[in-house]
Amino acid sequence: MDFASLAAQLNTEVILPELIVTATLLLVVVGDLIVGRAASSKWTPYVSIAGLLAAVGSLYFLWDKPNPISFLGSFNGDNLSIVFRGIIALSAAVTILMSIRYVEQSATSLAEYLTILLTATLGGMFLSGADELVMIFVSLETLSISSYLLTGYTKRDPRSNEAALKYLLIGASSSAIFLYGLSLLYGLSGGQTNLNDIASSITTAGLGQSIAVVIALVFAIAGIAFKIAAVPFHQWTPDVYEGSPTPVVAFLSVGSKAAGFALATRLLVTAFPYLTEQWHFVLTALAILSMILGNVVALAQTSMKRLLAYSSIGQAGFVMIGLVIGTDAGYSSMIFYLLVYLFMNLGAFTGVILFSLRTGTDQISEYSGLYQKDPLLTLGLSICLLSLGGIPPLAGFFGKLYLFWAGWQAGAYGLVLLGLITSVISIYYYIRVVKMMVVKEPQEMSDAVLNYPEIRWNLPGMRPLQVGLILSLIATSIAGILSNPLFTLSNESVTKTPMLQATVKPEKPVAVMKKSNESAQVSMKF
Amino acid sequence: MSTNFPWLTTITLLPLVASLLIPVLPDKYGKTVRWYSLAVGLIDFALIVYAFWYHYDFQNPDFQLVETYAWLPQLGLNWTLAVDGISMPLVLLASLVTTLSMLAGWQVTYKPRLFYFLMLAMYSAQIGVFCAQDILLFFLMWELELVPVYILISIWGGPKRLYAATKFILYTAIGSIFILVAALAMAFYGGNVTFDMRELGMKDYSLTFELLVYAALIIAYGVKLPIFPLHTWLPDAHGEASAPVSMILAGVLLKMGGYAIIRMNVEMLTDAHFYFAPVLAILGVVNIVYGALVSFAQRNLKRRMAYSSVSHMGFVLLGIASYTELGLSGAVLQMISHGLIAAALFYLSGVTYERTHTLMLDKMGGLGRSMPTVFALFTIASMASLALPGMSGFVGELAVFIGFATSDSYTSAFKLVVVLLSAVGLILTPMYLLSMLREMFYGKENTEFRGVPLLDARPREVFVTACLLIPIIGIGLYPKLFTQTYDVKTVQVASHARMAVSTVAQQPLQLFSEVSQAPALNSVTSGEFLGIVK
Repeated sequence: MDFASLAAQLNTEVILPELIVTATLLLVVVGDLIVGRAASSKWTPYVSIAGLLAAVGSLYFLWDKPNPISFLGSFNGDNLSIVFRGIIALSAAVTILMSIRYVEQSATSLAEYLTILLTATLGGMFLSGADELVMIFVSLETLSISSYLLTGYTKRDPRSNEAALKYLLIGASSSAIFLYGLSLLYGLSGGQTNLNDIASSITTAGLGQSIAVVIALVFAIAGIAFKIAAVPFHQWTPDVYEGSPTPVVAFLSVGSKAAGFALATRLLVTAFPYLTEQWHFVLTALAILSMILGNVVALAQTSMKRLLAYSSIGQAGFVMIGLVIGTDAGYSSMIFYLLVYLFMNLGAFTGVILFSLRTGTDQISEYSGLYQKDPLLTLGLSICLLSLGGIPPLAGFFGKLYLFWAGWQAGAYGLVLLGLITSVISIYYYIRVVKMMVVKEPQEMSDAVLNYPEIRWNLPGMRPLQVGLILSLIATSIAGILSNPLFTLSNESVTKTPMLQATVKPEKPVAVMKKSNESAQVSMKF
Repeated sequence: MSTNFPWLTTITLLPLVASLLIPVLPDKYGKTVRWYSLAVGLIDFALIVYAFWYHYDFQNPDFQLVETYAWLPQLGLNWTLAVDGISMPLVLLASLVTTLSMLAGWQVTYKPRLFYFLMLAMYSAQIGVFCAQDILLFFLMWELELVPVYILISIWGGPKRLYAATKFILYTAIGSIFILVAALAMAFYGGNVTFDMRELGMKDYSLTFELLVYAALIIAYGVKLPIFPLHTWLPDAHGEASAPVSMILAGVLLKMGGYAIIRMNVEMLTDAHFYFAPVLAILGVVNIVYGALVSFAQRNLKRRMAYSSVSHMGFVLLGIASYTELGLSGAVLQMISHGLIAAALFYLSGVTYERTHTLMLDKMGGLGRSMPTVFALFTIASMASLALPGMSGFVGELAVFIGFATSDSYTSAFKLVVVLLSAVGLILTPMYLLSMLREMFYGKENTEFRGVPLLDARPREVFVTACLLIPIIGIGLYPKLFTQTYDVKTVQVASHARMAVSTVAQQPLQLFSEVSQAPALNSVTSGEFLGIVK
């Protein structure tokens, strides 16, 4: 069999974006070997960004592809996966923008860092479309192992080493649990590995409600919850976030988390259709715990990275609202929120990196009076934080509005109320940072700000940071007001994904006249 | 220009768009920025006056200058703006007070760019709140004003500004949860999903549902108005904010609460209003008496005026609860009048503070000798506030009183108690205001001011105060000039509310049968009672 017919049979073009990323990765590795470390750091980051953007561009051509199944059913390139792959690739691209200066300052090799980051991206992208147990596990491990390496990348920093070790130990055990869950599924379904086949053979075998399947479900959720850092599987997050290089944290909190949500959606929806109520219940509990714990504990943080770590736990809780309500609007609000979360969270991290590069600290109290010294950084960081808090007219407000809208539509009143209350709590700690930067008077300036170096964007690696900050600032400011295209994108990714359409709950019928006795019930639920 | 020109969108967005230019304006000493912002404010004010003068029909009770653009059709969020008799005067008020407060902030030399940027952003948000006819858009505008006020208080405020600002943002943010919940609940109620306020008003809600939503909204707007016991943020915020910000807080932001109660609670949830109206009346009385008593006890000038605001907003509640055209018209008039008077008083207190550097009444005294003009202006504003006949405060409060007294929705015993108690409040008002004047301006000059040059009011300061006092006296002398611009609308709202009463009162659930009664069908027309208002 020749290569062309093999490629056609496997439907290889579906993974074109991943192929582009792989090619970029190889180019970076080989280029680095040939020209040497010093020379390669001049061009490798830009090649990587170009490759990632090309991958995002190629995703556009795969949109609405009539036959998205490739590699004999192990990879499903449907619209849902396309959006998630786009989010992951974009987050990696922005992460590279903010890494260049950071990695160079830590005197480690940039090309190796890029290689690992691209590998992690590749793992995340494959995970978004993985439709088969082996594929899921392999791509999950690709993502995880690269993430462990990245967290320990600044090897001379003991805290980075500590973070990597913690992450590795907890991650490995969670992978083991996850794998055990998968093996149960494999056994119960009589040796099937494809998610759809698993679901159908378990249903035909009448094992749909058996305790073994429930155990498999619980183990699978444990693995996923570790990836998205949902409470009570979050304990690694604060320590790892605090110790790891900050750009890596940015990627973990956006790219890796998005991959986790992609896995959750696909695995739970496809392989456990007969346990929908159960997994909704478990995830609802996780969402409630994450929203409460993440937002409440964030109040007490004094380090900016830990604050963002807990805030990202809380944010994951909000996103899970969209996942558990299981309607079209729910899934698409989840995707919409992840899209805007990408910009605002990466923007916030860019600000934090910029500040710590200039002052060497990330204590919140050290930010006081920053407005006098660096208005652009203050503006960018303030806008991104306020957007995370859900202040209009920024992108985060519309993201939360859509989530709560969808939640209310599906009748999840309690979740929506809790989400609203915790987002008011979150406003408090986000605005505390803004207050530090903007409100403090010149005489209250912290030492770090007093000794603030002159702003020089022409230092090597600073220009990309500036570009990243301004891009995310603009995106966060206008992605809310002009969010129509993003809305359409997230809606279509859901309505044109057969997997989700098969299981979606019927939405509240529109334009049906209902009268008083039913309305009384509604009001009682309210 | 044709009538199809999107007037309201222009008016709402102009300050916000203009504010985006502030960071790039070339400006070394903070002078260009303030002229620029003042110009934007004036242009917007002129546009508002022009649009209302030529394109607004004062005899039409319906929404006018309606504009609808789909913003996020997936959510059902529309950019719908319109004004009617209730919002039109408040848009004018907001624009006037905000423009004047930018002029009042002329001497802000600390971070002037940020100051004027936030002022303009807040300008847009206020107009947006009053114009929005989509409840989600309303919520968005309501929230939009949050952060600018927070920063304005916490940077340019008094010694306890951070505490006051945090208290403000927490109270308001928690209150606005209820708005969103109520909005979602109403929008998804029944068959069709809509956020349009007019369509929401036409939905047929069950009574239990209406009562719950009403309660949620009254909490949200009660924080803003403020209603006792949700008022505790107000003395802190108003007391700590700088004079221009206090002007907006007292002059416009409180009115957002009153406006929203009329717009949503009275107009959209009419049935529940029947059950809540007596509660509102009682809370109104509590506001009036409690606010006045506490105000009397304050030793800080701005806190005294802040509690006086609490007291005066009680009349708005009373008017809303009255179920008569006159009462409702009085409530709107009282909002406008208090907006102007409170802005003037807070501004003058700022003028005094600039010279004496203290707000404590104990430390003042005898200022009248060295600052006669400030003394005169302060006296006029205080007289307006204590409802001297011939000033707008008198007309507003009298209209509310007569409206409530002639209301046929309450038993006469209840009316008697309410009117008597609020009359007590009316007696307390001159007591605390006159004693404030006495402590500040009369008597011997405080020895602490020896050597401090106490300059009299400058022309700019006289001008700002005059701009506020002229409408106060104008409305006071000939209220019809102003009330006729919105009366058709308040009459419509009141009669709509009364129609609902006559149906609701027949229903078995008689929670408040002790105090409420169905009105006689041929209700008394209020005009005969008060020659000066109608």
